[in-house]
Amino acid sequence: MRLAEGTANAGPVLSVRGLKVAFAVADRHVPVVRGVDFDVYQNEVLCIVGESGSGKSVTSLAVTGLLPETARVEGSITLGGVEVNGAGRDALRRMRGEDVGFVFQDPGTTLNPVLKVGRQITEGQVALSRLRPAEAEGRAVELLRDVDIADPEQRVRQYPHQFSGGMRQRAVIAMAIAGQPKLIIADEPTTALDVTVQAQVLSVLARRQAEMRAAVVLITHDLGVVAQVADRVAVMYGGRIVETGPVEAIFRSPRHPYTRALLRSIPRMDTDEVRLDPIPGQPPMPHALPAGCAFEPRCALGSGRPRCREEEPPLSTVASEQNAACHFVDEAPPAPKVHAMARPKMAEAEAPPLLDVKGLKVHFPIKSSVLQRTTGWVRAVDGVDISVRAGETLSLVGESGCGKTTIGRTVMGLVQATAGDIRFDGQSMVRLGPADKRKARRRMQYIFQDPYSSLNPVLPAEDIVAEPLRIHGLYDEMGGAERVAELFDMVGLSRSMLSRYPSEFSGGQRQRIGIARALILAPRLVILDEPVAALDVSIQAQILNLLQDLQAELGLSYLFIAHNLSVVRHISDRVAVMYLGRIVEQGTRDELYSNPVHPYTQSLLSAAPDPDPAARHSSRRIVLEGEIPSPAAPPSGCVFHPRCFRADARCCAEVPAFRPYPGLATWTACHHAGPLEQNPAALAEVSR
Amino acid sequence: MIGFVLRRLVQLVPVLLIASLGIWAILYAVPGGPVAGLVGENATPEQIAAVTAQYGLDRPVVVQYLDWLRRAAVGDLGVSIYASEPVVDLIGQRLPATLHLAVAATLVALALGIPVGVISAISPGSWIDRALSAWSALALGVPTFWLGILLILWFAVDLRWLPAVSGYVPIWEEPLTAIRNLLLPAITLGVYVSGILARFLRASLVSELRADYVRTARAKGLPERQVVGIHIMRNALLPFITIVGLMMASFIGGAVVTEAVFTYPGLGRLLIQAISTRDYPLIQGCIVVILILYVAINLAVDVLYAYVDPRIDYG
Repeated sequence: MRLAEGTANAGPVLSVRGLKVAFAVADRHVPVVRGVDFDVYQNEVLCIVGESGSGKSVTSLAVTGLLPETARVEGSITLGGVEVNGAGRDALRRMRGEDVGFVFQDPGTTLNPVLKVGRQITEGQVALSRLRPAEAEGRAVELLRDVDIADPEQRVRQYPHQFSGGMRQRAVIAMAIAGQPKLIIADEPTTALDVTVQAQVLSVLARRQAEMRAAVVLITHDLGVVAQVADRVAVMYGGRIVETGPVEAIFRSPRHPYTRALLRSIPRMDTDEVRLDPIPGQPPMPHALPAGCAFEPRCALGSGRPRCREEEPPLSTVASEQNAACHFVDEAPPAPKVHAMARPKMAEAEAPPLLDVKGLKVHFPIKSSVLQRTTGWVRAVDGVDISVRAGETLSLVGESGCGKTTIGRTVMGLVQATAGDIRFDGQSMVRLGPADKRKARRRMQYIFQDPYSSLNPVLPAEDIVAEPLRIHGLYDEMGGAERVAELFDMVGLSRSMLSRYPSEFSGGQRQRIGIARALILAPRLVILDEPVAALDVSIQAQILNLLQDLQAELGLSYLFIAHNLSVVRHISDRVAVMYLGRIVEQGTRDELYSNPVHPYTQSLLSAAPDPDPAARHSSRRIVLEGEIPSPAAPPSGCVFHPRCFRADARCCAEVPAFRPYPGLATWTACHHAGPLEQNPAALAEVSR
Repeated sequence: MIGFVLRRLVQLVPVLLIASLGIWAILYAVPGGPVAGLVGENATPEQIAAVTAQYGLDRPVVVQYLDWLRRAAVGDLGVSIYASEPVVDLIGQRLPATLHLAVAATLVALALGIPVGVISAISPGSWIDRALSAWSALALGVPTFWLGILLILWFAVDLRWLPAVSGYVPIWEEPLTAIRNLLLPAITLGVYVSGILARFLRASLVSELRADYVRTARAKGLPERQVVGIHIMRNALLPFITIVGLMMASFIGGAVVTEAVFTYPGLGRLLIQAISTRDYPLIQGCIVVILILYVAINLAVDVLYAYVDPRIDYG
């Protein structure tokens, strides 16, 4: 741990005591942060972990007085020995510019779209007269170079839209370190980024932080990121820190029931556990907190116990440097329930596939703005073969822009295929007339990513679920209201909620409505487009379990589209990895995860943060250079060659064929396919 | 950029064709015509026939239209039936007056609308916000003819500071007289539109205030003046420019009431006169010119857009 060496004689950079934040809503104050204490020292990374509504982001904004005026902040925040709470406007402004650097979540919106990137990086320093205007551009170039942006002299004069997502986030880091701050606050800095880009951004952040010996408060929901970068961890729940300690202790011997449950509920890359152990219920809403321990209603240990219901437990020492807020911290955790659910047996390989996609190409024309002439093509999907057999789950995994969603939408008939054939249940979908297409589509349904925008807000839940029946004119035939109620039972929603509107449901419940809507026509194939990506970790597990149960019960086939490799590992039978419109590797789940042979699959697996702090030192990490090229101008030869650590002259010229890899049940498209160990020299170059 | 402007101008051709055809069709679908007014109530059928033939109105409608089109293509919009003057000359006399008024009214609207919009956006819900939105509701609610008459009563009749009848004086000849003449009609139009502009700017600023980049700007220690004046304003101006352009374009042909109240010699009043006398060539000419100006102003807005927003590239 870096903690020991850095703090031998210095006080904390940031010290927070008794922080309470309440927001004025209507005529009352809703407490969002309810008494938080923590310190961060020089050269130390403190990760604050929590689900939505836990108060983690509000805490970070309160630290620099960035909360809106409707917030009431109590308690003491000292930064570099100076009290922040109640400080004057100018003092706050000076402190933000000189002592703190901020990295926010979404690089698409944190930069001002109409101002040049260089100006945005240094204007804070210029405004505080720490940098002369004439020197600003030179300094911005320097800072961009520090965050690994190629050609900074040109880039500094560009606008944010000319930067890719990962570059924007690195520009935000450049902005954050422009004033050589003592403290960097990063609020979900990589949540909006792809996994290979996340690895780049985290590595840049870690390098600059180490150079400046800055203290870091990193806010995240991703336990993998925590395990990778944290020195200490604070777990927040219901507006309080419920457990805090060194990262190894939190992962190895968590003491609070919430921390334990959270760690158990995430799908992991290193196990084949068939069933996740979700936390029941929902995280509490700040305006309706339980009287006692906020976690009591969901707690395996304390649920229903009078003391937990009445009295809020204080944060107390449970081990050296480890504190937990639980009345029964010494009680042994109840043994995790054994879920004796056999994995449904897959259909035999000989059975004809339910969905068979051959040579699928989907190209979108690029139109010139005025005369609508086609000036080029976006090759979103460029020659893909996949098949899904009855009762199995095939996952399409890849980073943004790889074409995975387009495949799902094309199979559904929402997008027109440019070439190739899609056969569903033996019938070609491509040349069907509209009426037949509609009929066939009854048997395949779509579940969307964002449960907040995919449900019509003005319809009650029962009408949303019944809509497919009405569209197909089957409402009475398939059982009408009774059928809708059955579906509510099936997805675990109470029938008493039938007439409620989407806004009255939580994110997880909304996704259940989306699932019920997809299943009401009794489909055989369900296309799931990132169905859990927008959900909190503890809710994700509930939905994944539900999806697995429904598949076993109803014999559904899933085409599962996702970017999260651990979720994919958990739910899939077979996996296809996509890059820039093509499948680069496809195999059974176990084969693909234990013996990946394509360099892109290998990089992807190595970049995914493992929720185990020990892995940070033991595993070699491949950090890919650059970002995904545009599908409008794909590279020559193998599309992956510009970023590949094995690429040679042949890869630039010749497109590799998609063929079986000898000795494994895997197909791959690579001239140099093979296990990682074969290329130790090449790997050494790219690993840091 | 030049290519973009040229392409837009080419697109104007079909727009004008369709519009002129539409006007022609409407004019002929409505019963009556200019002849009845010309010959008087007691005219004999022979007199009517003679006058009709004199203006070529006895020819088939299609022939009349094509004839008009052929001349219009080379800039000849025909001769006004009532004034017996070329339509181009009639419009040419009124056009500068209309442009003067449009620009002056837009300036007044901006001078009133921007501060009101900004101040009420910065402190939403405060008493000043409420007062200002009441004011912009008032500005929108008061009819222009009433405000115009009130202004004439105060400033021209009672105080005798400004003329009650606003003639047209080119601003480059006698700036002071021109401003004195323009002031009251410009305020009448500008006040009304400033209410729209203020509301629009306020809404657009309030939504920008919540944007992530504003938090970023504050987080790097920028003073509030720069956060609002540079970061927010540049973004909020984008939709605002469109509205200003639309408003300005609406002054070209749509300021009829105000022009009438101040007996100002604008294009709008000319058009109304032409319509009431069924002066076909003049109606066609006015509408075509108004359309061209309308498109030109919108084109100017689009060009301005590309300068304010770097994401827009017209190639």
